[in-house]
Amino acid sequence: MPLCRMENVTKTYHLGNQAVEALRGVSLEIEQGEFVAIIGASGSGKTTLMNIIGCLDVPTSGHYTLAGREVSNLTDDDLSLIRNEHIGFVFQSFYLIHYATVFENVLLPTLYAHRGTDEATKRASGLLELVGLKERAKFKPNQLSGGEQQRVAIARALINDPELVLADEPTGQLDSKTATEIMKILAGMNDEGKTVAIITHDASIASYARRTIRMEDGLIV
Amino acid sequence: MKRLAGIIKQAMKAVTAYKVRSFFCLISVALGISSIAIIVAATEGAYKRAFDMVGRFGPDSLLVVGGSEESRAIGRQRKTIKLAYVEAVRQAFPTAYVVVPMTFVGDTVVSYKNKKHQTRVIGSTADYSRAWTWPVIQGSDLVEEDIKGLRNVGLIGQELSRELFGEMDPVGKYILVRRIPVQVVGVLAERGITGAGHKLDNRIVLPITTVMRKLVNETQYITAFRVRFLDQANLKAHEKELRLFLRQEMGAPDDEPDPFRIISPTAIIKFLVALSGSLIAFIGIAGIICLIVAGFVLANLFLLSVKERTKEIGIRRAIGARRRDILVQFLGESVIVTTLGGMVGFVLAIFGSRLLTYIAEFPMHFSWKAFAMGMGLSWIVGITAGMQPASRAAQTEPIEAIRE
Repeated sequence: MPLCRMENVTKTYHLGNQAVEALRGVSLEIEQGEFVAIIGASGSGKTTLMNIIGCLDVPTSGHYTLAGREVSNLTDDDLSLIRNEHIGFVFQSFYLIHYATVFENVLLPTLYAHRGTDEATKRASGLLELVGLKERAKFKPNQLSGGEQQRVAIARALINDPELVLADEPTGQLDSKTATEIMKILAGMNDEGKTVAIITHDASIASYARRTIRMEDGLIV
Repeated sequence: MKRLAGIIKQAMKAVTAYKVRSFFCLISVALGISSIAIIVAATEGAYKRAFDMVGRFGPDSLLVVGGSEESRAIGRQRKTIKLAYVEAVRQAFPTAYVVVPMTFVGDTVVSYKNKKHQTRVIGSTADYSRAWTWPVIQGSDLVEEDIKGLRNVGLIGQELSRELFGEMDPVGKYILVRRIPVQVVGVLAERGITGAGHKLDNRIVLPITTVMRKLVNETQYITAFRVRFLDQANLKAHEKELRLFLRQEMGAPDDEPDPFRIISPTAIIKFLVALSGSLIAFIGIAGIICLIVAGFVLANLFLLSVKERTKEIGIRRAIGARRRDILVQFLGESVIVTTLGGMVGFVLAIFGSRLLTYIAEFPMHFSWKAFAMGMGLSWIVGITAGMQPASRAAQTEPIEAIRE
């Protein structure tokens, strides 16, 4: 059974009286352990696709199952829980909480988790070690470089041990050397069995993935 | 529970992180709460003082003072009460266990050696202490023989004792009251001031016979008399009966006001409460306005903060926070700030009331009530003013918030 399965998914936004079809019937499967890149120009619908894969948004029509569960008609609270347990997010602008320490940022998803969080602090230290920031645990995000901040975000994405790591332009604000480091960390995670999906417009970033899904005008081409 | 504790912890971090916002909200709440706490303390103080005074006056007592309300207002104390009424009242009211006459001479100079002090002279019967529930702390009370024998003996108040004798023991010493030598036999306990501001501790108490015959040359009229009833519950009824009885005794025509006044414990309470009332009302209005303003300040600053922190809310939602988790966090921030404001306000109130007591001799009494009231109000402000910004935060859609 695939981890993500989309069947003929559409998404229509309403801007005033105008309807914008961001997705026009997308079918897609992502298997457990895959490393996928979703690539496309801006306006191609790749961000909408990512929002739906990440359960940040629901389809207008069609079906989406994540880990065997139909997502299309879940409540807002259920979606929050699914995001919390099954998905780890990495964003272009890192989005760390600036008034919390590095360590607290990594732990943040466990705050909203239902399952036990007793081992969370131990796991957080382990993840910080993994991304090479163990010594920076007590720092505030603004004391770190961009690459370091993104590594904190990756550790945060992994803290609840999700099935899927979803990275939206993870290297968009980094120089090429740092970008390579980040991509190596993501590739390393995939090597250990984690399913990774990255959204990018950059072909060289997409080349780290084993499969490339190209979006154009609301459809997969 | 663990989740709630974690979210509240996040709220605390945010409160300390957004210092300027927290500071302004805190100060505006503190000002409102401090004035409210002062009012509660002042109200309690006024009641406490009123009940203390009633306790000293005697909750079972009435005081009948000569002269009508009007004659008192224009400063002419007409003499209307005869000594004979005292005996008549004693006969007519079987439950009156104390009926004692009193006569009063104001502005009298007394001296001891070369020290002089202006005081008031009270003429009393024996057992002054019992009749007026006023302990004699040194020496002894006036006795029946002092009254019958028109003896030149007296009890003095604390202030007079200090002025004339300083640290010395006054008992047994002779002082001059308008050239009449009087031996001090006792000293009265400290009693403070009345509701109207009279100093009670500046007085000398002599046998009523001595005052009337030797000091003012009066045989018939007295200033006032005091009645204490065994059945305290019927005091109101007794007050009415006594009024009718005295009007009859004096032969006052029906269309004329009472040629005397009856002072009762309830009258004392009313007077004191009215005295504190205006100040309480003033501070009260100021306090409520302060709190309303504080509420608006808080709501606005928090609304700004929610807008500024859209991305933070978005990321929290993305990693699994439910809408109500966000609501709880922002409401928590607001309540934490107002709670701190309430505490600071309470401390301000304690200092403020010291100042009030110092400049206006205003009675203050801080109890858990003032604290509870302050805390309760600060929570109400925190919740009502914080609700709108918090629900705005909770409605933030994650995909809107984290759009690059």
